[in-house]
Amino acid sequence: MHKIEVDAKIDVLSLNKRYAKENREFFRKNNILVINVMGAIGSGKTLLIEKTIDSLGYKIGAILGDVVCKADYDRISKHKVKAKAINTGKECHLDAHLVNHVIDEFDDVDILFIENVGNLICPVDFDLGEDIRVVMVSVTEGDDVVAKHPEIFRIADVIIINKVGLAKFVGANVEKMFNDAKDLNPKAKIIRMDLKEGIGFDEWLDLVNSYVSRHNREG
Amino acid sequence: MHEMSFAMALLENALRIGEEKKAKRISKIRIEIGELLLINPEQLRFCFEAVSKNTIAENAELEIEFTKARVKCSICGKEYDEIKNICECGGFIEVNGGKEMIIKKVEMEV
Repeated sequence: MHKIEVDAKIDVLSLNKRYAKENREFFRKNNILVINVMGAIGSGKTLLIEKTIDSLGYKIGAILGDVVCKADYDRISKHKVKAKAINTGKECHLDAHLVNHVIDEFDDVDILFIENVGNLICPVDFDLGEDIRVVMVSVTEGDDVVAKHPEIFRIADVIIINKVGLAKFVGANVEKMFNDAKDLNPKAKIIRMDLKEGIGFDEWLDLVNSYVSRHNREG
Repeated sequence: MHEMSFAMALLENALRIGEEKKAKRISKIRIEIGELLLINPEQLRFCFEAVSKNTIAENAELEIEFTKARVKCSICGKEYDEIKNICECGGFIEVNGGKEMIIKKVEMEV
């Protein structure tokens, strides 16, 4: 018996990259704008999707990722749109392979929302083939939540700080959160929002409309 | 925590290479991890120890090297060693790479 060393050069994430590319090609072929909604547990991701479905005239679909249970799926289904739940089992994020299994059903939508598992760490490493990355947090998670999770905010196109109406009750400084987000990612669009009060929601709808127009223009 | 999925992918790849070379034992796996990949090396080692039990990679050492991201101003081209967002010239800084996990070498007994 003797020792040998074998050169490998294997990219451990290559499988995810391959599926993400495949997903992206499918979305492009069918002219679908795909929005990956990431964020903390209870930050308002599902409500954002529900209200967007009710407010816009596009044909919308939604993929809802959760570790177990179909609660988000049940909520979205009531809005009469195509929806699909993905239960990740033990995993804390969606990956491109899981998404790849269900995208065929969404070939006729204009916008596909993918609601990721509530988590500010793990989804960062997994491209799903999306066009837009939204990261949502709320003031009730503490006003240091942005500074504590830099990587997810760095990869975001849109950063939403939700429940600003509760800031005074939980002693959170919304401006600190806004400035932390701006420091980490000067290119991202940052929205102060309170979905229950309607604050910032029109700004979000305008943004989605502009993404749809850009998508239709540029393909 | 997604170290478990990475540990499983590592094991799968290492075992495949071991099988190709008809290895009796895998003793070391050298990997490079990008500094921005959200992986904790201690947790990765712990998970690898768990998933490699009763395989030829049991007790294999994970030798981990961290690789830097490329941090460069999109306007003046100045490069930085640390992650920054805005350059001294006021331009946006682009961060590329630093998110890979690459198996470089697998050491085995044949």
